[in-house]
Amino acid sequence: MIELEHIIKNFHSDKDKNKNIHAVNDVSLTINDGDIYGIIGFSGAGKSTLVRCINLLERPDSGSVKIDGVEMMKLKPRELYKARTKIGMIFQQFNLMPSRTVFQNVAYPLKGMSKDEIKNKVRSLLELVEISDKENAYPSELSGGQKQRVAIARALANDPKILLCDEATSALDPQTTGSILQLLKDLNKKLGLTIVVITHEMEVVKHICRKAAVMDAGRIIERGDVFTIFSDPQHPVTRNFVRTTSNLSKIETLLKDNSPMVKLKPGELMARLVYIHADVSEPLISFASRAFDIEINIILADVEIVAGAMVGGTVVIFNGPRDKINKAIDYYRSKNIRVEVIQDAGA
Amino acid sequence: MPELSVLLPNLMKRLPEFWKACGDTLLMEVWSGAIIFIFGLIFGIILTVTKPGGIMENRPLYQVLDKIINLFRSIPFIILLTALMPLSRWIMGTAIYVRGVIVPLVFGATPFFSRQVESALAQTDKGLVEAALSMGSSPFEVIFRVYLRESLAPIIRAITITIISLLGLTAMAGAVGAGGLGDFAIRYGHDRNMADITWVVVIVLVLGVSLVQWVGETLARKNTH
Repeated sequence: MIELEHIIKNFHSDKDKNKNIHAVNDVSLTINDGDIYGIIGFSGAGKSTLVRCINLLERPDSGSVKIDGVEMMKLKPRELYKARTKIGMIFQQFNLMPSRTVFQNVAYPLKGMSKDEIKNKVRSLLELVEISDKENAYPSELSGGQKQRVAIARALANDPKILLCDEATSALDPQTTGSILQLLKDLNKKLGLTIVVITHEMEVVKHICRKAAVMDAGRIIERGDVFTIFSDPQHPVTRNFVRTTSNLSKIETLLKDNSPMVKLKPGELMARLVYIHADVSEPLISFASRAFDIEINIILADVEIVAGAMVGGTVVIFNGPRDKINKAIDYYRSKNIRVEVIQDAGA
Repeated sequence: MPELSVLLPNLMKRLPEFWKACGDTLLMEVWSGAIIFIFGLIFGIILTVTKPGGIMENRPLYQVLDKIINLFRSIPFIILLTALMPLSRWIMGTAIYVRGVIVPLVFGATPFFSRQVESALAQTDKGLVEAALSMGSSPFEVIFRVYLRESLAPIIRAITITIISLLGLTAMAGAVGAGGLGDFAIRYGHDRNMADITWVVVIVLVLGVSLVQWVGETLARKNTH
């Protein structure tokens, strides 16, 4: 279990001694064993600093960092080095040692073992991340995805219980990102690994995380299970993030471009229907259309499965008598669907 | 070899002296080079790890070392040679011959090599250092297993450059009675107008520099992946 309490980390500006940058500003966070926990935020939000406070690559100015009940801040240097071997970390730029082969990179953190033991351990790790055939290659000969696999093998060399991923997929193409995320998911299941994922990509959180926290300006502004964050974001920054992954945001572009698709006839009303709860499975559009005798025209739809439940919504144009449209809207609201009117061409 | 004594009349008459000069230059290079290598490497590492943001950040130590290196780098070598004579006498027992010039050579080239090492180590990706620390490496392990190992090629290049510039310094050292090729060329080639001696010394030095450069570059390339 990772317990961060009231972590504060300031960086001092070199030019102006009085100017402090609050990289992490009073953050408390608990991550349970076996979780895949996402920390998301725009660049500069402090998430990389926060994750470095877990293995004390950055030492917090104040606060407490406990891992399995052990206060990391109070460890002597030797003990800290030892503790770090049980916290793996991977990076955006992979950080493989260019002068060492894949084998030597993975063997780097192994100490106090015989040559044969090291060989066996490295081979089994390379097998685990499915890159055994590259044992003697140098990092410069590998693709990004392969490099990250090697980095994961290296991070797992001392059988850590925790893996910290600092923007680990941000330098990879979407397909490779998918395969690395799948690997992380498998490792979580197979080894019971606790994984902390730092990212600015909502896709990543959506793909593998069960819980997530949203960071902005050094603070956690929202946290909870990923489904709730996606379906019902509270903070504007979170909404922004959710929108980046949703098709529904395209409506703004269409409106701005004055596209004929979104031009309303008199009496029509355009609205965004957002599903908040996990039990949306009824055919809501066609049902309302029939029940209230109006036309409901789907402009955009984006429904996704997040953490095993449906999230998303549609942008629709209602066409019909205004009182009937209002009844349909009331009906949706009663079904826990958020209705946001985007444009109204009047009654 | 009669042809050679026609072509190089003055040199052929002083062959034993020429070989001794070559040997003296080599001796100066090797002795001072070895000492410079050790001190320069240590200082270069200290500069790298103690600088602000380094893995063993230590402002006072960094500032002091940084300033001392700048001080010695700004003194022209010919002045250093004479200024350090008393120190040389105290450490080596003499201020002339090969023995007497080791101290000024070390003081003259160590700051240069330290900076070279510092800039070689600075090429190490910060991410590698961070990754090593995250894997539980101690700062000393980071120095030996990351900094030195990963910047082997630039360090070899730094050594090459330093050996070559040291050759220039040994020639100057001839001026205060250290012997060697520089002294040989000045005494005969210049003072007595024996052009053939000047030319041969130049050729020997060019060959020496080329050889050092070639060996250095080959080793550096072998260590780049």
